[in-house]
Amino acid sequence: MMKKWIAVLGLATAGFAVSSANAQESVKIGLTGALTGPVAGTYAPAVEGLRLYIDKVNAAGGVDGKPIELLIQDDGAEPSKAAANAKRFLTQDDVAMMINSSLSSTYAPTIAEAKRNGVPLLFAASVCPAEVFPPADPNLFCTTAFGAKYDSRAALSFIEDKSGADVKLGLHAMAIPVSRGEIDFAEELGKEMGMTPVSKEITPPPTPDYTPFATNINNADAEWVWSWAPWVAQIKTFEALRRLGWEGDYLAYAHLEAEGELERVKDPEFFVVGANALFSEGLPVMADITSAAEGSSYPANQMTEGWIAGMVIEAALKAASDPTSAESVREAMSNISVDMQGLRGGPLEWTADNHFRTQQNYRVYRWNPDSGSIETVQDWTPFDVQ
Amino acid sequence: MQFVVNIMVLAAIYALIACGYVLIYRVSRVLNLAHGELMMLGAYLLVATASAFAASPLMAVVFAAVMSLAVGGMVYLFLMRRMTGETVLAAVLTTVALGILIRGLIVLFWSAQQQHPRAMLGWDNPVIVLPGDARISLYSGLLIVATVLVYGGLFLFLRFGRWGIRMRAAGQNPLLAAQRGINLHAVFALAWGLSTFTGAIAGMLIALDSGLDSTMTMIGLKAFPAALVGGLDSLVGALIGALIIAGAEVGVIRFIDPLLADVVPFIVLIVMLVIRPWGLFGTREELDRV
Repeated sequence: MMKKWIAVLGLATAGFAVSSANAQESVKIGLTGALTGPVAGTYAPAVEGLRLYIDKVNAAGGVDGKPIELLIQDDGAEPSKAAANAKRFLTQDDVAMMINSSLSSTYAPTIAEAKRNGVPLLFAASVCPAEVFPPADPNLFCTTAFGAKYDSRAALSFIEDKSGADVKLGLHAMAIPVSRGEIDFAEELGKEMGMTPVSKEITPPPTPDYTPFATNINNADAEWVWSWAPWVAQIKTFEALRRLGWEGDYLAYAHLEAEGELERVKDPEFFVVGANALFSEGLPVMADITSAAEGSSYPANQMTEGWIAGMVIEAALKAASDPTSAESVREAMSNISVDMQGLRGGPLEWTADNHFRTQQNYRVYRWNPDSGSIETVQDWTPFDVQ
Repeated sequence: MQFVVNIMVLAAIYALIACGYVLIYRVSRVLNLAHGELMMLGAYLLVATASAFAASPLMAVVFAAVMSLAVGGMVYLFLMRRMTGETVLAAVLTTVALGILIRGLIVLFWSAQQQHPRAMLGWDNPVIVLPGDARISLYSGLLIVATVLVYGGLFLFLRFGRWGIRMRAAGQNPLLAAQRGINLHAVFALAWGLSTFTGAIAGMLIALDSGLDSTMTMIGLKAFPAALVGGLDSLVGALIGALIIAGAEVGVIRFIDPLLADVVPFIVLIVMLVIRPWGLFGTREELDRV
């Protein structure tokens, strides 16, 4: 009987040892994201793109022979859930890197937990916080395409190029701090550039009808509208304006839904400005994404953000002396340059004090009714990130 | 004129949704906090039927509406019926859980991306120019028409219909109604079915007008003040409450600050709760029961 118990104990110990060895052999990354809830459409496709990229890396042998274990937890864009996810990643799973793909309201708890445990935190598909811009927080990094203030600079420069500075400018944001802050900045920038802001509409996140807001813009005779908000708010405001008979030009940020929506709306005066290339470019890397996305719930052209995050994570882990060590990974991330293979206008470079990117490039697209396809209206335009 | 049209459209949306809250509350005293989710589910059912009945768009809409009616009835039969004899609070909390479940299931079945059922059905959304150069889209116009038909239909049903009279009886005195042979479970199931049906009509028309995404559930919540301001047990109250809330919201957007649009329905609600807690057309006795 005693021998039997010793055998059982031995097997259990061996099993534990094997499981520990497996755990040590994989590189663990924890992701907390808004995969359900009202804003899931903005984040879930990107997370899917990241997961597919990590699968590709693992299929090719992982990093230094170690598979990457991407642990994904849904936070529903709720700060309390994000905090619980972060705690779990850091205390139970012992991750080497944490990723936030959720609303900005989840940032505070995840940043605090990551900092307390010395684990680098990457923002992917979620808005880049101020701390990743120079002088950057050593622990925070961001691959997301859009960047506050730079987006409005690119947008208003484009409007100026197209119509000159003497334009009546309508502005639109959603009633969330990051969107309002950007549009407030655009209003001031527009004035500095000689434009005349005539209407600034802030729509609440749950808006059953955008027409009352669009009516204000229409009544103000805006010639151009610049909208920087989640895609649903941008497109619904535009469509409400068109229903009111407004004939001006509309510029929106090219979120991941942009490509499909340009094809759906088919309006030549509806422009999108963004830092990611659209799939209409037909780049080889886009064929890879399309192939990986077969059978997925989301179209491949919505996965660019996640794919880019995957490229950067792979490069960082490869550059790290020990990819399972958070400290080593953070050190590698602080000095890295990743070839974006055309998905962006240049490489993504992080330095010791810049964890956004050293240069941000923008392209502008629209639907061309003559060719029946999306066309590039303005090629990559660089902005140095100071 | 556009100002008036904007109020009418928003009021129609709120009224269609609010009547669902009222129907269930006046019959069973349960506050259905999953109503926004059930409304959204109705719209997603249209996405499902639009794929299945691509050749017959009208059939897709009718089938989705009938399915919504059935879903509402089944929610009562398989879930809320089990709450019979429990406290009202327990039933309300059950609806909260139901809402969470529906939100999760919708993401599982249809993913989180935006859907455009109108494009799937191959329909256009032409703009109708009204006197005074006001404009309204076809589906916004249909929202107003649907509101008139739904409220008119419910009035006739509750006033003259056999099951309508049973519903009123069950709402006024369930014990007496049961003693008179009225099948309370059937009446409650019908109320849940009708509530989900009217919510789904609103959800489908909003989706046909401007697309469908998971924020629709929050629109359901925004109609709640309309029901409370009008009086939670009064359909006429829901209609008037919707007009008041929509008028205040559109007025604030137009004349004060669009930023206040989100809070003004709740300011109106607070004012009403201070002055007349049972709502404009609600009954004081109902409030005491709550």
